[in-house]
Amino acid sequence: MRVANKKCIRRLAFKNLQSAKLRNLITVIAVALTTVLFTTLFTIALSMVENFQQSNFRQVGTYAHGIFKELTKEQFDELKDDPLIKEWGLRRLAGLATDDVFNKSQVEVSYMDENYAKSGFTTPTVGHLPEEGTNQAATDLKVLSLLGVEPELGNEFTITIDVDGTETTETFTLCGYWEYDEVTVANHIVMAESRLDEILKKCNNQNRNGRTGSYQLNVMFRNASSIENDLKTVLTKHGFQNDEVGKDNYIKLGINWGYVGAQLFDSMDFSVILGIIAVVILIIFTGYLIIYNIFQISVAGDIRNYGLLKTIGTTGKQIKKIVMMQSLFLSVIGIPMGLLLGYGTGVLLAPVVIGATSDNDSIYYASASANPAIFIGAALFSVITVLISCRKPSKMAGKVSPIEALRYTEQDHLSKKKKMKKVSKKGISIFSMAYANMGRNRKKTFVTVLSMSLSIVLFILTVILSNGFSMEKYLSKQISTDFIVADASYFNVRMHWGDRTPVSDDIVALLENMDGITGAGKTYGEADFFVYDFIEEDYIRNGRLSRYYSAEDIEHYISSMPREGNQILNEIDIYGMDEFCLNKLKVWDGDISRLKTEENVIAAVYFEDDYGNMKDWTNWAKVGDTVKIRYSKETEYYDTQTGEIYEADNLDSLPATASISQRPKEGTFKDMEYEVAAVVSIPTSLNYRFYANEQFVLNSEQFIRDTGTSVPMYYTFDMMDDEAVKQNMEHFIADYTNNVDPSLDYESRYTYAGEFESFRNMFLLMGSILSSIVGLIGILNFLNAVLTGIITRHREFAMLQSIGMTGKQLKKMLVLEGLYYTLGSVVISFILAVISSPLAANVIENMFWFFEYHFMITPLFITIPIFALLGILLPLISYRFLSKKSIVERLREVE
Amino acid sequence: MAILSTTNLKKIYGNGENAVHALDGVTLSIEPGEFAAIVGTSGSGKSTLLHMLGGLDRPTSGTVTVDGKDIFSLKEEALTIFRRRKIGFVFQNYNLVPVLNVYENIVLPIQLDGNEPDSAYIDNIIETLGLSEKLSNLPNNLSGGQQQRVAIARAIASKPAIILADEPTGNLDSKTSQDVLGLLKLTSQKFSQTIVMITHNEEIAQLADRIIRIEDGRIVTRENM
Repeated sequence: MRVANKKCIRRLAFKNLQSAKLRNLITVIAVALTTVLFTTLFTIALSMVENFQQSNFRQVGTYAHGIFKELTKEQFDELKDDPLIKEWGLRRLAGLATDDVFNKSQVEVSYMDENYAKSGFTTPTVGHLPEEGTNQAATDLKVLSLLGVEPELGNEFTITIDVDGTETTETFTLCGYWEYDEVTVANHIVMAESRLDEILKKCNNQNRNGRTGSYQLNVMFRNASSIENDLKTVLTKHGFQNDEVGKDNYIKLGINWGYVGAQLFDSMDFSVILGIIAVVILIIFTGYLIIYNIFQISVAGDIRNYGLLKTIGTTGKQIKKIVMMQSLFLSVIGIPMGLLLGYGTGVLLAPVVIGATSDNDSIYYASASANPAIFIGAALFSVITVLISCRKPSKMAGKVSPIEALRYTEQDHLSKKKKMKKVSKKGISIFSMAYANMGRNRKKTFVTVLSMSLSIVLFILTVILSNGFSMEKYLSKQISTDFIVADASYFNVRMHWGDRTPVSDDIVALLENMDGITGAGKTYGEADFFVYDFIEEDYIRNGRLSRYYSAEDIEHYISSMPREGNQILNEIDIYGMDEFCLNKLKVWDGDISRLKTEENVIAAVYFEDDYGNMKDWTNWAKVGDTVKIRYSKETEYYDTQTGEIYEADNLDSLPATASISQRPKEGTFKDMEYEVAAVVSIPTSLNYRFYANEQFVLNSEQFIRDTGTSVPMYYTFDMMDDEAVKQNMEHFIADYTNNVDPSLDYESRYTYAGEFESFRNMFLLMGSILSSIVGLIGILNFLNAVLTGIITRHREFAMLQSIGMTGKQLKKMLVLEGLYYTLGSVVISFILAVISSPLAANVIENMFWFFEYHFMITPLFITIPIFALLGILLPLISYRFLSKKSIVERLREVE
Repeated sequence: MAILSTTNLKKIYGNGENAVHALDGVTLSIEPGEFAAIVGTSGSGKSTLLHMLGGLDRPTSGTVTVDGKDIFSLKEEALTIFRRRKIGFVFQNYNLVPVLNVYENIVLPIQLDGNEPDSAYIDNIIETLGLSEKLSNLPNNLSGGQQQRVAIARAIASKPAIILADEPTGNLDSKTSQDVLGLLKLTSQKFSQTIVMITHNEEIAQLADRIIRIEDGRIVTRENM
């Protein structure tokens, strides 16, 4: 039978709430703090995901889901209005700018509509996109600086465009520009469509390569879950296809890999996800401890009320509802406060965390996410925490028997079982009374102590873990010399010394003459030639590649490789190192000094994992082996099936069926044979900083002689052990690379030490914030326990005073109780810390190779005085409120 | 010489027209070893009087002298200490400490005073009150009568000069009430203590040596049994 009693229940819930203002305040703060923790965590996590995605999009050059390429006007008109497509943008390419100043950059000249520009990060931040029928154009600041044009709207600039093989020189008026994003591969110059048509007409464009002038349709679907399917569905609906290349109705597609979910989860380590789950559980547990405790205590306190309600006919279910309703009402106040505060902390912390955890080059604009999912998620988790916490107390209230409720005192049912300890005639002392009081509500005592311990344990872990990050270990791995100077591209994780620019003679000459350098050397890298070694097929099958590719793919790969007799020509990377650099190598086997004294000897490079173990599958050569190497000035493309040779220029016009491979061009190469003198590893800071091929090391003279090139990749040196001299050098190089020659860059122990410090500080910051919020919750829990302990016993205290307990003795007892809480927390924290820190250290050790575990107990000693002080102060303050009423008033209260 | 006396004791709550005269000039004196019952209807001021006698509440004017000492000349802490040495309380709702067992409850006032209980004396009380079997029990496991007997034991354990009992039988059935009061009287005689008891039950009051009636904050008659 349903009765319309909701209103009545609600009123009862509210009336009950109003009777305990302080308790409500504590509950609201507890809920808010729990929400703060959730919101902060979610803000940081989602910001990381979004920044990762964002940086992917910027590399791809667009956040559009997919693209229909090389469309005709008719195809474009047909496709763009498909109902599956939520949003679309159009771009038409004129060609690449070929001016000499653009040698190192790809500058694409095209028309884009507003949508395309928006999704391609090319919306001008100053000015606007070009207007139709004008000579206007917009571009980025890098293009302008390369052209030597001041970024001022209205300035004119002239460029040469290669329109499908025809060069044309065009002048534009600058109508807008935006910041250049280093992550993006291409630079853009955007013009009006009318101008594009003019240029195409002038160049008599035939659109032979299918790109110039054609329509590119960028599209967004409802969501990114099935981009490829959506693209194909649209094609099929309009009678096009993407499966057979030669056919009329074939349309090329592009999918934005930035959206591919797998990418994201690959990069998000399993351990990171595990970490997030662990923190979520920790937060729920923290919140549970306090909210449960508050409701547990308050239900115990109100149990007579609930008994009374039951005697007059309230059902257990209704009483449960009353308790639940109270908790939800308090959540409605607490959660929004927590969301606001938590988002604030999240916004502050997200950039710090992202900056410290990702490779610095990929993310320039670490910003906090504003995804509504953060708030929905955090609110949801908070409500779940509240509901879980109230389940038991509400059940207890619902199950109460009216008669028992009247007799109920705040005491465990446990203690009703007779403790038949022998009566000691010693009686009791204030100490034993306080101790006995701890046992009144063991659950409350335990939960409070646990809640307080939690923050201490977190704090201990934070200090232990952040101290465990060993700067020495980090530096010894990250940098093996004091300074490295090279072209900026060498240090750029995306370039990997891609333009093969040598470190400038000027700086080397300057540095060589500076004081304090104890040893220095250069390492020469590959430039303008190709290197191969001769290997057996089986090495390909069983070696490095077999770790990444399927057997089928490897067979395909083998069949496409150039060969000579039984051997395969395999591209390798080689180094030419000065003696100083050779000395920095880690030698696994053989004798590296032979490279300094003998001719025609070589060192085989093996890679190490983060923990310094040799990966024995990263090379094939052993000490004593002979390595035959082919140096080639040029390569040529050939069809592996027919043997036909193609010029690099007409690769575009290949039949789709051709299986093309690249090999040393006849007549441009020479072969050399070397004996492997040593098996070595190169410190990360001194190698090519990427790993694609097997690597070998020669000494510099041999390298220069055999390759016929001498392009120094970097110049590196050690300095005398004098901080002031090093400091001086740091300033000099920093100034030089910033102001004199910005194309240069450097690394030093200082830069790495700074990087390390910022990482460790991030860790410390996060840990401290987490443990202080959890600590605040613990203290609240403590406060609540002390307060309710005093309030529920106020009559008992009056009685104690009436039979002769002085106020001093009473205060002493309360303080002792507080100190017992502190003592309990310290003991439990110690035990938990001893158990949990090796476990946590193990996880961290697996995540960060530069971690060394040392157990520390000092942080516990730091927290003891704080908690002891609280143990003394909270009871005293609470007692003050109590003692305002006279003994008689208190004695009478319940009578 | 009187062990307990008051002179013109007044307690006024509020002021002006709203002033309530809870006690309106009470003068009485009780001799050592006397068992006096203060009887009155609810609101008559009998509880207020008892609280004044025990030093739990301060009068608006007038004095209370216990064993020759004007108790309200004492500071709060000193008063508490005086109280636990000279006065034992027995309450209607027993007011035992729930986390302490029977024995611990009984010796609590002595130990609060930092003294070792006189074990022969305590054993004697325990025996007299029939609590020997219950010493290790917690108050919750005792019946009302048993709890009140513990409260009486506690009240006389520190050998006070006076026992003040506030409706000691208010929560007990009449059979138990008679038993408990009998024991109270017995022990007070045995250990030669003075009892002042509040009750609204005439029948119970009849057990006293002397009945003091109080109405509207004044003593109305004195009766000697």
